[in-house]
Amino acid sequence: MGATFSRTLGAALALAALAAAPVQAEGPDGAELFQLCAQCHGADAGGRELFLAPNLTGLPEWYLLGQLRNFHAGLRGMHPDDTPGLRMFAMARSFAGALADAEMQAVVAYIAKLPVAVPEPTFTDGDPAKGAAFYQVCTACHGADGKGNQALNAPPLTAESDWYLLSSLERYKSGVRSSDPRNANAQLMRGMAATLPDEQAMKDVIAYIRSLGAAQASAQPAP
Amino acid sequence: MIERLLPAASTSATEIDFLFSLIFWLVGFWFVLSEAIFFGLILRFRKREGRKAQYVTGELQSEKRWITVPHLLVLVCDVFIVFFAVRAWHQVKQDLPTAPTQQVVRVEGAQWAWIFTHPGPDGKLDSADDIRKVNELHVEVDRLYHFQLTSRDVLHSFSVPVFRLKQDAIPGRVITGWFQPTKTGEHDVQCAEICGIGHGLMPARIHIETSEQHAAWIAANSTVSVAAVAGR
Ligand SMILES: [Cu+2]
Repeated sequence: MGATFSRTLGAALALAALAAAPVQAEGPDGAELFQLCAQCHGADAGGRELFLAPNLTGLPEWYLLGQLRNFHAGLRGMHPDDTPGLRMFAMARSFAGALADAEMQAVVAYIAKLPVAVPEPTFTDGDPAKGAAFYQVCTACHGADGKGNQALNAPPLTAESDWYLLSSLERYKSGVRSSDPRNANAQLMRGMAATLPDEQAMKDVIAYIRSLGAAQASAQPAP
Repeated sequence: MIERLLPAASTSATEIDFLFSLIFWLVGFWFVLSEAIFFGLILRFRKREGRKAQYVTGELQSEKRWITVPHLLVLVCDVFIVFFAVRAWHQVKQDLPTAPTQQVVRVEGAQWAWIFTHPGPDGKLDSADDIRKVNELHVEVDRLYHFQLTSRDVLHSFSVPVFRLKQDAIPGRVITGWFQPTKTGEHDVQCAEICGIGHGLMPARIHIETSEQHAAWIAANSTVSVAAVAGR
């Protein structure tokens, strides 16, 4: 009886010790965190216009992290008229506490490894030939091939949805996406977007960017 | 009673709190009384040796009185509750008081933020000096405010707990309401209607300021200077 009791007690104590032992320290789980993003950006992160959520694939980790940190710090998405930005500003608040930055890094690392989703065009009335001329000013940072340049904080453009490029250009130009003076890159883009006289010019330059992406896709062998 | 848990910072907060307390004490009284009688009877008529259980049909006048008398008394309490509830509803929702110094602020709910438009130095909305802020509402203590509540997308609910104020925001409609802050301080503004995945991530703050503080805030935030408005 006594032996049985002490054996049971010993087993119970061992179990308790096991339960109390610290779990192997692991970083935040990017795939799990992404489940929240997927609600608007889609499970493939390819973006959904209905939710004003852009395609996140085809963007490098440094750019995604930079923008996410901007939202989190209130450097982006805080203009009263930035309807999509206000949504993302709120969602970035879900990263809170001491682990916030580690979580942002983890989710961004996960997104950056997702296969590139190619969004369907949503408008066809842009003229790539006219757009090529407007694009000259963009080449300084985004490159002649539209692949971007990390040293200049310029993201690649060719995989992004056309509706989102248009919305961004409009919001840069009107100051809605470049309202915070601390956000230097947005300030820079405001000036660049100002070189596009109207919506048609924006559509033309986006059509040209799309043609760059199509040329790159056909030049590469299918994976 | 509620003020100890949450400050009351508007003229109508006391009315709402009184209603809360009235219902709490009336219902609390009847709850304690009925539970006391219930458990008293259980104790008194518990199983005892040599006593046979009795089946009570409740048809005798003397037995029915246990129901009818409290019933009538509860109805009298209801009359009080309804009277004060209608009075509070009228004051908070139906009445729209005016004052010579009143101001209008616009409150817009969006997924997932509150956008507040304050009148600038000229004291009027929809002019060049308006101050638009995200998640930040600035008001002056003791001044009467009308708010114009709208929504950019879906249903939201403008909730200011320290004002005991809550009003749904409906897209396509402008709902006018009022409040008059009575105490300075900084408090929560919440959304009280599930409005999408970011619903819990749209907390805003209300800053209730003295007239000097408020004037300074307006001067610092309006794109049009106070002097320019005065000289117009
Ligand atoms: Cu809500």
